[in-house]
Amino acid sequence: MEALTSLLGGFETALSPLNLLWALIGVTLGTLVGVLPGIGPALTVALLLPVTAQLPPVSAFIMFAGIYYGGMFGGSTTSILLNTPGESASIITALEGNKMARRGRAAAALATAAIGSFIAGTIGTVLLTFFAPALADIAVTIPAGAKFALILLAFVTISATFGGSPLRGLISLFFGLAVGLVGTDLQSGQARFTVGRPELLDGIDFITVVIGLFAIGETLYVASRYRKSQDVIQLRGGASMTREDWRRSWKPWLRGTALGFPFGAIPAGGAEIPTFLSYTLEKRLSTHPEEFGQGAIEGVAGPEAANNASAAGVLVPLLTLGLPTSATAAILLAAFQQYGLQPGPLLFVTNADLVWGLIASLYIGNVMLLLLNLPLAPVWARLLLIPRPFLYAGILVFSTVGVYSLNNSVFDLFLLAGFGVVGYLMRRFDFPVTPAIIGVVLGPSAESLFRTALQQSNGDLGIVVRQPLTALLLLAVLVALVVPTALRVRARRVHPS
Amino acid sequence: MSDPSPPPPASPRGLSRPDLLVALGVTLLGALLLYGTFQIPFGINAVVGPRVFPLIVSLGTLALGAWLTALTLRGERAEPAVEEDTDPGAPADLKAPAIVLGGFLLGTLLLSPLGFVPGTALMYFSVAFAFGERRFGLTAGVALLVAGITFVVFTRGLGLNLPAGVLKGLL
Repeated sequence: MEALTSLLGGFETALSPLNLLWALIGVTLGTLVGVLPGIGPALTVALLLPVTAQLPPVSAFIMFAGIYYGGMFGGSTTSILLNTPGESASIITALEGNKMARRGRAAAALATAAIGSFIAGTIGTVLLTFFAPALADIAVTIPAGAKFALILLAFVTISATFGGSPLRGLISLFFGLAVGLVGTDLQSGQARFTVGRPELLDGIDFITVVIGLFAIGETLYVASRYRKSQDVIQLRGGASMTREDWRRSWKPWLRGTALGFPFGAIPAGGAEIPTFLSYTLEKRLSTHPEEFGQGAIEGVAGPEAANNASAAGVLVPLLTLGLPTSATAAILLAAFQQYGLQPGPLLFVTNADLVWGLIASLYIGNVMLLLLNLPLAPVWARLLLIPRPFLYAGILVFSTVGVYSLNNSVFDLFLLAGFGVVGYLMRRFDFPVTPAIIGVVLGPSAESLFRTALQQSNGDLGIVVRQPLTALLLLAVLVALVVPTALRVRARRVHPS
Repeated sequence: MSDPSPPPPASPRGLSRPDLLVALGVTLLGALLLYGTFQIPFGINAVVGPRVFPLIVSLGTLALGAWLTALTLRGERAEPAVEEDTDPGAPADLKAPAIVLGGFLLGTLLLSPLGFVPGTALMYFSVAFAFGERRFGLTAGVALLVAGITFVVFTRGLGLNLPAGVLKGLL
């Protein structure tokens, strides 16, 4: 029960008035950007990083965690009230939730999403509380070669599960890896891919890449296919459910949680697969299968819970292994690095205060989000009415400030425009953005682990096969290339696209 | 990169020129990375030098690009992403993103000589214009307001150093 004692210590940190305030700011911001189109939690954390440099790390991470969870809550509001989903994980919510809203059941759809997210988030956080320290104890013993293999596994699963095809995911990943290589090689001091520009010697800041690919790329892409008429469903009163809705929702919430958490925790690439699986499962178990596709509440409750539970699961590999499996997690990793912290097994020993404060704040953030989302649902819904020309223009200006303030350099803004064009092309030609982000953030660690492992074995590549854990992980890399594709094909076949 | 054709209802099997250009672009990127790899000096004698990882990445990119090219030649084409606020069925209008990009680059060039507020206000205006906002007076007013408030908040409130330009001494 060591975890419980540590957690209590964490609550002491997280419940200080100042940190409570940061948590509240975080969840509010998170819900806001989750609701607003064109801006998400990954982009928000990246934009805030330069600004929060003066904050103590605990407060900054409590705020970031709030943004992370809040983004999930806010995203469901958008997919229920607006008829296009923002991200692949909310396709299902949009499918059933929007149908419910069209039949005048918006309040119930929002309520089951919010309460389901709360329950999944809380159970997920409990699992995180007990799994993470246990996993950290094991992770300390992993040798460099196996860590490299683990990163490879994450690379492959993320590339294979996000986006249209594994090939396009891998191209996105390699683009990110190449960007990560630019700059001075720390081990040998040699300049790589700097094309003679002194500005590139320090490498390309990942914030520029993230903001370019997400904010600028999104703005360019939406501009090219902009839908002028917004089809927003009006909401009167807060989100609420009837007794019947509760009866039909609670089991899907729990089943969704059970599906979502493990998929987030093993580096299997995000929330898309568990939400599809949860939808399929609920449809099969439902006593009203005819309602599916017309707005069945189970079809909102299950996938939304799966989505949020996987968000909690993602934090397990991030905190214990330093392995991000979603774009937001990759940016959180980079944020840790910016504070001079290396997420991984040692973090639980060297920065116990920070980790447990962060975990405790997740419990608190979840409660805040429930309170923010049920009665205030109409307020968030109004955000969808912001005129798009002003919204996207504002996002572009904030992005410019964020990137310019990194180095006070106009050169960075030209880089930003370049990554924006790449971001446009990625959306137009179906390359997922997440693998590129993971490549930029994790590529340098992968290279340094690769070198350490080979240096330890004196350049003998055979080490990777003889070390059992490494060999096993490399085998998993191969499996990971095949299985998610098969799962996705199955999930897609069941749900009408 | 040109993107003239609305994706469906064109025959799904035909060769798509934009897709082919992208696939060749990826292959070219791989080739350029390979060239760049051989420009990296060897450095001191370490077991794994600074060239090894770039070599893996560039060869990988080259191979993936070639693979994508082969698939594209066989008629595979990409589905444009569906985002909030986009209409997947509508034909792509490349003028709007060009205005956004042009406004951004012009604003960037004006950032140092004229200052932060005029530069970002221009960016704001061009995005709003590209998204179909035609109330010019209102847009210009909002653009200057947003740029001005951002400037004051970031310089005064957060202590960042942004170029004041023509408004030096005024804000």
